[in-house]
Amino acid sequence: MTAPGTPHGEPVSVAGAAELGGHAFLRGMPDAYVAVLARACRGTAARAGHRFFEEGGTADRFWLIVSGHVALDVSAPGRSRLIVETLGKGDLLGLSWLVPPYEWQFGAIAVQDTMAFELNAPAVRAACEGDPGLGYELLRRVMPAASSRLHAARIRMLDLYAAAGQAGDGP
Amino acid sequence: MTAPTLPARYRVAERRGETHDTVTLALQPVDQPIPAHQPGQFTMMYAPGIGEVPISISGTGPGAGLVQTVRAVGAVTRALCAAGQGQMIGLRGPYGTHWEVDRAAGGDLLIVAGGIGLAPLREALLAALGNGARYRRIVVLIGARSPAELVFGQELGGWRRGGAEVEVTVDQAMEGWAGHVGVVTQLLGYADIDPARTTALICGPEVMMRLTARELRALGVPAARIRVSLERNMRCGVAECGHCQLGPLLLCRDGPVISYDVAAPLLAIREL
Amino acid sequence: MEDAIQPGSTALMEATALDQLFASLHDAGFAVIGPTVRDGAIVLDELAAASDLPFGWGVQLEPGGYRLRRRADSAAFGHSAGPQSWKQFLHPPREKLWSARLADGAFEIGADDGAAPPRLAFFGVRPCDLRAIEIQDQVLGSGSGNSRYAARRDAVLIVAVNCTEPGETCFCASMGTGPGAGPGYDLALTELVTGDRHDFLVDVGTPAGASVLAAVPHAPAAASTVDGARAAVADAAQHMGRSMPAAGLHELMAGSHDAARWDDVASRCLTCGNCTLACPTCFCTSVEDVTDLSGDHAERWQHWASCFDLDFSHLHGGPVRVSAQSRYRQWLTHKLGTWHDQFDSSGCVGCGRCIVWCPVGIDITEEVAALQAEAQQTESGRTP
Repeated sequence: MTAPGTPHGEPVSVAGAAELGGHAFLRGMPDAYVAVLARACRGTAARAGHRFFEEGGTADRFWLIVSGHVALDVSAPGRSRLIVETLGKGDLLGLSWLVPPYEWQFGAIAVQDTMAFELNAPAVRAACEGDPGLGYELLRRVMPAASSRLHAARIRMLDLYAAAGQAGDGP
Repeated sequence: MTAPTLPARYRVAERRGETHDTVTLALQPVDQPIPAHQPGQFTMMYAPGIGEVPISISGTGPGAGLVQTVRAVGAVTRALCAAGQGQMIGLRGPYGTHWEVDRAAGGDLLIVAGGIGLAPLREALLAALGNGARYRRIVVLIGARSPAELVFGQELGGWRRGGAEVEVTVDQAMEGWAGHVGVVTQLLGYADIDPARTTALICGPEVMMRLTARELRALGVPAARIRVSLERNMRCGVAECGHCQLGPLLLCRDGPVISYDVAAPLLAIREL
Repeated sequence: MEDAIQPGSTALMEATALDQLFASLHDAGFAVIGPTVRDGAIVLDELAAASDLPFGWGVQLEPGGYRLRRRADSAAFGHSAGPQSWKQFLHPPREKLWSARLADGAFEIGADDGAAPPRLAFFGVRPCDLRAIEIQDQVLGSGSGNSRYAARRDAVLIVAVNCTEPGETCFCASMGTGPGAGPGYDLALTELVTGDRHDFLVDVGTPAGASVLAAVPHAPAAASTVDGARAAVADAAQHMGRSMPAAGLHELMAGSHDAARWDDVASRCLTCGNCTLACPTCFCTSVEDVTDLSGDHAERWQHWASCFDLDFSHLHGGPVRVSAQSRYRQWLTHKLGTWHDQFDSSGCVGCGRCIVWCPVGIDITEEVAALQAEAQQTESGRTP
């Protein structure tokens, strides 16, 4: 377990544009835009137990997970951290960097050793302000990811696996 | 012969509590056993004096024995779950269509189970593992309400050692859970299936089956190679009482295992 | 008497010989079940003698309406669509399937008492009802569960009666089930009442029918009599009060799930289930397990069920078909549509009972016509 307080995992190498462009999240993005992102990006390897961020912290980075397993969690008094969702290969970690006031709503911790591309959020936001085309390409990838998690959350709220009411015998 | 189909007598040889409301019963025949079955078929289980419910067979053996996993949701299932070792219950069957696991041989087998839906799929998985050489990959994705409500939890290790890739996700995590948290369809993204070679068997709540099948279709798996196990109210099990109709299908005879190209338009009609 | 009667031959029998026909049936070991007047209706019951038949009684039928009326003649079979059908004898409303002894965590199912089903002669089976019996044979007779049905069926002898006077709500002709009886009868009668004469043309269907007829006074039927009788039946087909579209019901039903008409009929339908009780082909049942107070003795009973009941489709804590609209749709699309998929025929025989016995007078021929019109409108692109 990495000691708490380490802000980043160890950088593995500065990610090249080609490697970044191969990530599932950016599939099909025009090379020019990938290159812009690559300038704000580096590879990172996090040990199991590494905390990416805490609830309430400044959302100044986001990650594209290459491998491993990350848990989004929340703290409640009297209960240990509650995991709300886990993410893995191909997933985008971090949405609050796009939504003012750019503060993390949950925490995130590596459950297993995790490799990811880490991107500089303010730099990416500034690049999008300067080039709406990049902004659109990014958002049309972020939106399906967010939508799918909203959808999944709604389904989980239905508690489909719970037994129905006490009435009668179902088949 | 004027007797209607009568329950055959079986004794509970062993009972194993799976979760707070689910029990697996290992049953041995008292008299003549019921005819041999295929994975995916069901029996009408009789709790003496109380009634019958359709329950998919979840395993076989030893000998002519059968394994059935029951969730207590009503009077009959509560009685079955309370049956102790040595107690007698009745079985009629086997009825219905089966998973046709053999037809998936030569390709990848994907099993997606939600909650108690893992019980009807267990035999399909065991059959495939028994014939492991015939499948390139056997992938098992399991969704459960929480870690405490995972059925057959102690068997997962054996399945992995037998060659299956098994991933579990829960809707709600508990302390100490280091696995996935999220809906089972999210696991499809990590499984990297090859749609051209995959046959998918899905079982769980109907909403979960619809969403999983839809996701598989979006990935390019043909509807004819997706099979779901459907449920409706059943009384007789032999296509004579009319209860289990789903449009043109009688689920006790034309199901419960239905190919998704047949099931999809029917599942899309509300209150069918 | 002339030569032995054979299946396929015809004979003429005077109405006065009906008593001897009954005697012949009784001698052959059959109890005779047939129509009789009781409680303001023509019901099916055991008949002691031919005089129990409803001579001179007719009915006046309309959606949601049934009245007995006096006929001008003394015909015994000048009526239709009584509240009951023959299914109550072949597929009883309540029936014990088996009983068991429960003790010490074990159970033992009792041996069947082995009582043979009673031998019944169904006297006066309309062509629509004959077809309905055949349809239930297909549904209930071939399964592995219901050898009880097969045993009861084998013990039945059928004396059919062709129709020469359709009721106002009948539509057998358009369903292809009448007004002349199809195969499946042991004997078929065509009643001929003209002036002072009251005769029956008898068609022999089977050796069993032939042997029953052999003991009854009869004469060869003149060709003109036979022609006249056939013509009267054929003529009846031209006078049906209602009809269903000849073809395409299966497809119409399959395509109608979103039709607006279902909401319309649901605003009228009480989901009382009368139609399923009166319908001669409706077969759905449910089972009930009961024990006595000591808990040592258990029985399983089977009883009629209706898809209009809310608990018919109960699944995981509630019914699948909650709305009246979905339950009415289930009944009609099954009867006219998915029955074909499940049992290779239509489930409707055009007897009209559902129209007569619906308390709010829903007429399925009208509903089908409306569904058809809506389907055609939707197809031609106009706003439905």
